[in-house]
Amino acid sequence: MAMKNVMGIIYTGEKDSYLRELTLMRAIAALPVAGRYRVIDFLVSGMVNSGIKNVGVIMQKNYHSLMDHLGSGKEWDLHGKNDGLYILPPFLTRENVGVYSGSLDALHSNFGYIRRSKQEYVLLCNSLIVFNANFNEMMDAHQRSGADVTMMYSRNPDLRRAENGTYFEIDAEGIITDVEIDPTRPRHENTSMEVFLLRKDLLMDLVDRGAAHGYHDIMRDVFQRMIRDAGMRVRGYAYEDVCYRMDSVQSYFKFNMDVLDRTVRHALFDEAKPVYTKVRDEMPARYQDNARVHNTMVADGCIVDGHVEHSMLFRGVRIAKGAQIRNCVIMQDSVIEEGVTLENCILDKQAVIKRGGKLIGPNTYPIVISKDMTI
Amino acid sequence: MLKKKQCIAMLLAGGQGSRLGILTVNMAKPAIPYGGKYRIIDFPLSNCTNSAIDVVGVLTQYQPLELNAYIGSGSPWDLDLAHGGVYVLPPYVKGKQGEWYSGTANAIYQNVAFIEQFSPEYVLILSGDHIYKMDYNAMLAYHIEKGADATIAVREVPWEEASRFGIMNTNADNIVEEFDEKPKQPKNNKASMGVYIFSWDKLRAYLCEDAGDPGSSNDFGKNIIPNMLRDQQKLYAYDFEGYWKDVGTIESLWEANMDLLNMPMPIDLYDKRWRIYGRNPGVAPHYIAEGAIAKSCLITEGCEVYGRVEHSVLFAGVQVMEGASVIDSVIMPNAVIQSGARVRRAIVAEGAIIGAGAKVGEDTGNIAVVGQNVKLAAGAVVAAGEQRVQ
Repeated sequence: MAMKNVMGIIYTGEKDSYLRELTLMRAIAALPVAGRYRVIDFLVSGMVNSGIKNVGVIMQKNYHSLMDHLGSGKEWDLHGKNDGLYILPPFLTRENVGVYSGSLDALHSNFGYIRRSKQEYVLLCNSLIVFNANFNEMMDAHQRSGADVTMMYSRNPDLRRAENGTYFEIDAEGIITDVEIDPTRPRHENTSMEVFLLRKDLLMDLVDRGAAHGYHDIMRDVFQRMIRDAGMRVRGYAYEDVCYRMDSVQSYFKFNMDVLDRTVRHALFDEAKPVYTKVRDEMPARYQDNARVHNTMVADGCIVDGHVEHSMLFRGVRIAKGAQIRNCVIMQDSVIEEGVTLENCILDKQAVIKRGGKLIGPNTYPIVISKDMTI
Repeated sequence: MLKKKQCIAMLLAGGQGSRLGILTVNMAKPAIPYGGKYRIIDFPLSNCTNSAIDVVGVLTQYQPLELNAYIGSGSPWDLDLAHGGVYVLPPYVKGKQGEWYSGTANAIYQNVAFIEQFSPEYVLILSGDHIYKMDYNAMLAYHIEKGADATIAVREVPWEEASRFGIMNTNADNIVEEFDEKPKQPKNNKASMGVYIFSWDKLRAYLCEDAGDPGSSNDFGKNIIPNMLRDQQKLYAYDFEGYWKDVGTIESLWEANMDLLNMPMPIDLYDKRWRIYGRNPGVAPHYIAEGAIAKSCLITEGCEVYGRVEHSVLFAGVQVMEGASVIDSVIMPNAVIQSGARVRRAIVAEGAIIGAGAKVGEDTGNIAVVGQNVKLAAGAVVAAGEQRVQ
């Protein structure tokens, strides 16, 4: 099946309160991860690697950094004359207040874009799960089964959360028989990856009818009802590879630390399905004479002269002589001066830790230093 | 008729660079990897972009495939433009005849029609053989201010090396009075950098004259410049003081890479106002494992280091396995140094595999080279100065 006939829509308006300072000024989709990427890179690259040529990104709040990152879509080869990358920020019209109360609102506001797109299928995704998928197999399964909607899920227990997430009950045939949204204690082991595949005309019909009934959220108000009332055939598609959910400081931290593991790293960064991102043209990382670095990922533009262990260094980070860094995520252009000790910290972009500073967080609750802070 | 440009650049990238031995068997010299993530041609191309020169004709001839693919649309250098950009210009057939570029001047002569499309007042001639950061726009301003017919960028070289270069003998006003190609007894130490600005009308006239001379070797240094001097045209030298390195030999390529390991770097590649752009491999940040050693080195994206790397430059996707050690060496993209292998004072070309326990190079002596995609068997030995092609 040619994925050319599928358009991707990414909704980036998820709730992000558990990410604290990290999402104060950016959407989850724009969160820097794994040394040189943003969360959304994995999804957009996965779509492109699968052959999708038309990707719409629905923006909600704080979308400046996301727009800046995606640009013309050139890095993903989405800047062609036909299709390409469409950035869909909220806008004010008579029937649209400019802020979406949910994904259904957002789809309804962008009805024109969806209608005008020439693809017959829509791959609808949220943006808070990091995974590097090839969607061809899901498309094959969708067409073979004749389902109305196919929803991707994972049995990975790390995706389950109390009071957060969508969980499927799936029968032996693969049909989704029940959906629970944000239960205190998830009863089903299949966590929704928030990836839905369906025909475009069906989506448009559902969005139109949903909006006409005053609904806001496509999962809760439309899909859940469809499954409960058994009006349509909704099937699950199991995703078996690594996936991480970026919905709290802890899960963000864990993801970055897990990438240091060879198996996880090689699963996410597979030569056959490269992850594209905005390029910064930094020179290679430099290790000085006093550098002692273990079990760490280091991006270009870094200059390291201290001791770094089990950490993630983003582009352009400086670690001075005598600094001791353990279990840290240090974002772009941060500067660690001489004699600083950091343990279990997340430093947002351009943070500066002055000479002799010491910050040690518990490993269950890392310290977050906001962007541009000097300590 | 295309949009008029004040100055366009013509980059001579057709040379083989035969003194680079096995490294240039499959690619032209400007495509040679340098500095962990660049290729030599990134320097003149980035200099053009940073100098606001947005038409660059790249003259290719020898083994152009790698270079053509690398340049592509020119987007890494912001040279994919509606008005201008980068143009790859191989020799082509004209009417019933066609010919190779017989020399640097002939390559430009054969592309007069290309240049005329932009009706430029000035033409900047560059070569794809050198590592340097230079503001061509400042040189152009100098050329215009002096009312020169040609301006030649020069750099002072140590007197004892002057006889290896084309030397400009200048007067107190920096007017070139004489040009000595590789003089045995140099009278000056201002070496031509192979960077020229010509007023286009003048250059065109001299190119046409040169093309009609069957005895000419159609070369800028040997023919065009001497002819202009003969006619007492105004030739100025333009002094350049920054880092400039001709990476024409294995030793100098190795040295130019090692230069980057000194702090402060002789050529500042961290300068955000004068970035050197290149095609990005698009791979994850590199990984330094538990127990690995990385000291005094440059390592770029996609590398995985389980062994020891000291005083070396690693390009994208290089793997140094457990117990392997790489010292004083340059390891080009996607090469693998298998466990226990020992690499010293060496250049390992793209995609080469150094088998377990193999020994490449020695602590002293000449640079050892392992060619592109060579698979060196476990325990193999490559002596200092040896070039291994299989």
